[in-house]
Amino acid sequence: MTCQELDLRLDDWLDGALAGDAAREVEMHLAGCAACRERERQLRQLLAHAAALPRSVAPPRDLWPGIAERIGSGWSSWLAWGARGFQPLALAAAAVVVLGLAALVVTRVAPERVRTVTMPTASPSATTLVAESSVSDPGLAQAEREYEEAARALLDALQRRRGVLPDEDLARVESHLQVIDRAIAQVRAELLKEPDNPELGRMLVDTHKKKVEVLRRVVRLSTAL
Amino acid sequence: MEGLVGVVIGDTRIAMREDEDRRATELRLVRQAQAGDLVAFERLYRENERKVFGLCFRLSSDPALAEELTQEVFVRAWRKLSSFRGESAFSSWLYPLTVNVALSERRSRRRRDARIVATEDPASLERAPRSPAPEAGFDLEKAMAALPPGARAVFVLHDVEGRTHEEIAKLLGLAPGTSKAQLHRARRLLREALAS
Repeated sequence: MTCQELDLRLDDWLDGALAGDAAREVEMHLAGCAACRERERQLRQLLAHAAALPRSVAPPRDLWPGIAERIGSGWSSWLAWGARGFQPLALAAAAVVVLGLAALVVTRVAPERVRTVTMPTASPSATTLVAESSVSDPGLAQAEREYEEAARALLDALQRRRGVLPDEDLARVESHLQVIDRAIAQVRAELLKEPDNPELGRMLVDTHKKKVEVLRRVVRLSTAL
Repeated sequence: MEGLVGVVIGDTRIAMREDEDRRATELRLVRQAQAGDLVAFERLYRENERKVFGLCFRLSSDPALAEELTQEVFVRAWRKLSSFRGESAFSSWLYPLTVNVALSERRSRRRRDARIVATEDPASLERAPRSPAPEAGFDLEKAMAALPPGARAVFVLHDVEGRTHEEIAKLLGLAPGTSKAQLHRARRLLREALAS
């Protein structure tokens, strides 16, 4: 065996992957070659270093808040965080409170109904369609109700601010809301097929959340004008 | 001697029971997390963060990027949690996901001309994670960071993580022979660094 051949087999020999004659050939070469013995010693030293490295390493900072922020917007996680004192209604309520609309009378609307919501645009026909919900999960249905109540309250507030925002801006908002409503309808349709899919549930609530956020921004903008 | 054997058997049984309890607790947390319980998922995160971060750090050789990768792993794990059947440990399920995220993200980031790092704690970018003190002037972490990415990945998975070439081949989508060749290359380069 040449030194070059040994170099090719040394890894397998050290890893215990060589047996019988192949292993004996390596051992015989090492017994008679100081240079290869030195190479073997260095390799063993390297492997000892590697084996001594801990597999677990603590991150320099707590990474959980960033993870929770990215995944924690779903309805179910809200319910879980509720156990820590966070109320599922917080965002919906905040949307109303921040706008100074606490006096609004919010009518509860069951999500199982088809209805249209009128946008306060110059065009009397402008509406956003809220598709029929068929959500069977009670927690998810509750979350939907809360978001829809918040959206309705914000739409009412916007209705009262009609005339403040330019028509083209309101038309753009309406178009945006229609896209969101179509997405809600699509997710609901998927939930009909897979009612136990938590990802779809989260997606549905995220979409509702986007709608509330859009409305909140528009109302805030209209009150600032 | 029988007494010693008895103690060993007894300890083994206790360890097995503890392991079963741990698995049962973990499975319960996974089921709760699958139902949307973020608190349960946080406990799973706390149990696994160090292993995931350690692997991300070694595969990326970049502490700041490893933080982002670790977060990405758990975000994806949350999204894919419904596919976990409980047939293996949660950490085993997380392992290929971590390797995949670490290597694919690193590849995609390398293609960018510049990377913007967003963090609430800029000082963390300057801090390396705690790792054992280098022995006799040889810093293996630093030497590993200088390896070509493919060789580094195989070295980390084989010699640090203890995976076989067959497992590595499956994780990285390589032939086992390629894994062996990459390991040989990595060991040669590191051995030279050690000798210098």
